[in-house]
Parts: sequence; structure tokens; C-alpha cells
Amino acid sequence: MLVELKVNGEPRSADVPPETTLLKMLREYLNLTGAKLGCDVGDCGTCTVIVDGVSVNSCLMLAARANGHEVTTIEGLANSNELHPLQEKFEEHGALQCGFCGPGMLISAKNLLDKNPDPTVFEVRDALAGNLCRCTGYTKIIEAVIDAGRVMNAEQANS
Amino acid sequence: MATRTKDIQKKAEELITTEKSKAPAQQPLAVPADNPVAYPLELPQGEARLRTPAVGQRARRPDGRLHGLGQTQYIDDITFPHMLHAKILRSEYPHARIVSIDTSEAEKMPGVMATLTGAEIPENSFGPTYQDQPVLAYPIARHCGDGVAAVAATSEQLAADALEKIKVEYEPLPAVFDPLEALEEDSPKVHGGDTNIYTSKTIKKGDVEKALKESDHVFHRQFRTQMVEHVPLEPHASIASWDGNGRVTLWTSLGRITLGREDLSRTLRMPQNKIRLIGTVVGGNFGGKNEITTEPILALLSKKSRRPVKSVFTRGDEFISSTIRHPFVMDYTTGVSNEGKILARKIRLVLDGGAYCSWTGTTIGKGSILAPGPYDIDNVLVEAFAVYTNKTTTGAMRGFGAPQVCFAYESQMDDIAHKLGLDPLEIRLRNGFSENSLSPTSQTLQSVALKESLTQAAERFGWKERRA
Repeated sequence: MLVELKVNGEPRSADVPPETTLLKMLREYLNLTGAKLGCDVGDCGTCTVIVDGVSVNSCLMLAARANGHEVTTIEGLANSNELHPLQEKFEEHGALQCGFCGPGMLISAKNLLDKNPDPTVFEVRDALAGNLCRCTGYTKIIEAVIDAGRVMNAEQANS
Repeated sequence: MATRTKDIQKKAEELITTEKSKAPAQQPLAVPADNPVAYPLELPQGEARLRTPAVGQRARRPDGRLHGLGQTQYIDDITFPHMLHAKILRSEYPHARIVSIDTSEAEKMPGVMATLTGAEIPENSFGPTYQDQPVLAYPIARHCGDGVAAVAATSEQLAADALEKIKVEYEPLPAVFDPLEALEEDSPKVHGGDTNIYTSKTIKKGDVEKALKESDHVFHRQFRTQMVEHVPLEPHASIASWDGNGRVTLWTSLGRITLGREDLSRTLRMPQNKIRLIGTVVGGNFGGKNEITTEPILALLSKKSRRPVKSVFTRGDEFISSTIRHPFVMDYTTGVSNEGKILARKIRLVLDGGAYCSWTGTTIGKGSILAPGPYDIDNVLVEAFAVYTNKTTTGAMRGFGAPQVCFAYESQMDDIAHKLGLDPLEIRLRNGFSENSLSPTSQTLQSVALKESLTQAAERFGWKERRA
């Protein structure tokens, strides 16, 4: 079946079998391998993408359900000139070790900051509750998100 | 930050000048007059060798940026033209003799390009300590995570469907699941023979029995720990490609690629120079990716199908088929004086090894040496046994046995403190290692700051105030 959707602002489409998940479509049909397959049952969050402003586990969403919707993946965060403040701050704070949870963490964090640019530690923890990390622990990740929020606020104030 | 770096540089310079002034003046060595080559023996050192301005500065991980961009290539992010996907059928029973395997129905399915069973593997055994583990179980399956057959097909879904078409006839055998039951004489024997014990270790220091008799108080308790799976976010994954030159290349999430190449050479009965292993970025290891899993299976499926073959474990495979942390059964008997001084400690450790040895050799060694704890004890006896059970194989995991024994000895320290009416910190300060203490294996320990660390930590987090 033909699935047409917008990925990181660009119209994309693929002809996929009906059982194809959004994650599989992104990774295998659109060659966007940033979102990862960790558990395939919606527990680990490493497959997180944003669909119409809501962060979802793309391993649990059928590609057909995303038809006509707008999807943001990790590949849509940076542009040719600069990193997203979250990517910059995750790197600076050493918030990624093996990196496998990173794309999902960053996407969940982006969705939080887009809606709430000045979150409390509790709000960050709540927003990242669906993303598991097994290496660094969560302290540096939370620090990086709060720091990135500060940068984004300052940028907005200046513009 | 800049001021801090300057401070560090200044300190380094001071250090260098004082070291120089301390050094005794050296007489130049006499050089034979007829020596054709002359050069000074003391060469000026480059400054970079004497100071590290990086200390005190914030470092960035070299791989951090690609991780953040989602551009790091893990195994599952790599694909090749005409690549196949492999799936493994696992044993239905914890202990069974495989009577027959029929893969013909699976092979008839369109899109299924190759199947493999244990009987087709040139040398069906591997392992870092003992080579007791089959790549695909045959003729005996020893736990439910044992693979019995594998399929390579054009899609993952098709490979999964094909597994259902494989007919395996089993003759179930009696199984054993508890490590203490496995020690008994009439227990089912996982690997045949007359015992399930496959490794043991004894550490003796002083005379434990005598010291226990002379102790004012004797404490005994049994502690048990459970299985722990590493749960790396990236499941085990590999790709094998057998080429027309008779060489095989593997891209794998394996952590120890040199050891892996040895195991592949053994299982495939092939010289190492025909095997190329490419270790890629690993999405979490924690000890669970220290030995081969599916690599020889993929190599042979690739040889049969003439195509690259990829396999990624499901989370279920990860839990039942990859290695886990050894559960320990720990009996601690400790003799203590009225003053709270530990006089003797007698320990029996039983390690639940699961179906195969894997990294048990390292685990039993480290677990035994650390079992008495970081305490000055003159009389120690540690007897450790690793036993086979029909369960998931236990292997390497962060600490190699250290966390299990730590749980036991620290719990017992609290028991002792409670009984003697001592502060739990005090009992540790009275017995803890100090400079030049002897370890249970009589190694002289240096740079020991145990008591200082405990005291400072207790001060910082307000131990006394919280207990008051």
C-alpha cells in the first residue's frame, strides 16, 4: 500500500506491506536510520519520533496510520549551518555514551522544549519517562535538556 | 576555565623546577674515544610529555556528535544489496534429545534461501574458558535459549514465518533448575558425567575452624542473588558475507573481536586469515557482547545462499539466549569478638552457571577473592563451586561476581553491627583495610583510602545527624 507523509518537512512516500510499522518504513524504505529498534514493544523509546506535535513510539504505529501526517525524526533537528541546541548541549554535557538511546531522547526532549521552553527538572524527567538509557544514567541528559532550554530561550529573546 | 588552565600549567612548571633541583648532578658517562657514533644520553623532553593542560578542562566524547545527529552506524543501520535476514528457532524444552529436524517445508517457501542445523556446523562447540557450548544445539538441547535451527529469507517476517514450518522431534530429558539441587548426587546431569560442578575455587588463610571456636559471637546467614540481563539498548546484531574467494567478512556488535575470530576459526574449521571481523560501534555491551552468538550461523547461511545475511536479536532472544549475570547462593559464617573485630570468615559460594560455562572462570575467581570483603581478617576460608543448570547461560557482566558477594558481606556487616549495638559505620572502620593490609590471597594492598573515604563521606552526607 502507498503511504504518503511529510518527513522533516519534505513530502515522502513508499509502497509498503500493510503490516509495516512507521519505524520500519522510516528505516528501510526511506533510509532514515536515526530512529532505532530497541525492543519493538514500545518500552525503550529509542524509536521515538514526533507525529503532528506528539512524540510516539514509531515501532508501535503502523506506517498506514501516519499517512498524510507530519513526522519529525532525529535527522530533522540540525540544518546545514548549525546543530540544534539540544544536540550541541548533549554533546557538551557528555549525555550520550553508547548513543543508542540518543535519537529517541533528543526527539522527546525537543517535543518538550517546543511546548515548554523553561521546564523544571521534574518536567524533564516526566517527558523522558518513556526513554530508557542503560549507560550514562539520566543526570547528564536532564542537565543537557535544561541547558538547551536556556539557550533556546536566550535565542528567542534576542530575535 | 582559562584561569584554571593557567593555574594548572603554573603548578606543572613549579613541579618540574623542583624535581630538577632535587635531582643529583650526574657525571657524564665516559664515551670510548674510538666510538663512531656519539649522542647525548639525556635528551631534552618535549613539554607535552611533562604536563597535561587537558586536566581540569571539559572533554567531549569524540563520537558524541554523530550519536546526537543520529548518524552513527550500528549494525542494524548497515544494509547490503540482496541481503537476507536470519531467524533462529529455539528449543521447546529446557533439556531434550533432538531426535530429528525436518527443514524441508521451510525450504519450499518462496523467499527462503537457506536453512541450517547443528549437525551441519563443522565444529559445533565454542566458549572462552571451556568449549562446551554448541552454536546450534545438536543432539542435546540444554536450555530453552539453545538454537536448534536457523533460516535465512528475503525478509525478517518471512524468516519468522519459515521457523514455524520447521518440524523438530524432541525426547524430553529430566532437567534441573536450582543450583543447590544440581549439587545433589541424584540430580539430572546437564552435561552427563557424575557431577554438575564444572569449576571450583578454594582460598585458605589462617585456621578458620579454630578462630570460629574462639570467637565471642558467630553469625550465619544464607544470601541469594538473582539473574540479571544486561539489556543493552542495541540487541546483538551481525552481518556475514561469504565471498567468492572463500573468505568471510563479519560486521558485528561483538566487543572482543580477536577472541571472536578465534571462535569462528574453530567453529568453521577455517584458518583465521580467511576470516575478517569488523567491530562497529556497539550500542551498549556491559559484558554481554563478549563472545560470539550467531556469527558462525550467519557465516554458514551466507555460504549456502551466496548472499550477505543479517541477524538482529529480538528483545526476547536477548533475554533467553544471550548470557546473563550468575545468580549466587552464598553461605556466610563469621566469627566476631565482643569488641566488633572480625576473627574468622567462612564462605561457601554456589554459582548458578546455567547451561554452559562462558565466562564463569573469571567470575568465580574474582567473586572468591572479593568474597570476604575489604576487611582485615586473619582466618578466611572460601569454597566456591560453579554448577550447570538447564537455564540461560551465565557469563560476563560488569564486576564479574563482585556485586553478588558485596551484597552478602555488607548485609552481614549490618547484622553484626545490629547485634553488637554498634554504629554500622563503626564496625566497618574497626575492620576495614588500611595501608599495607593483606588481601585474602595475601597481596599487599597499597594506596588504600577506605577508612578516610568512609569517614569523609559520612561527614558530607550527615550520617550522624540522620541517625540521631
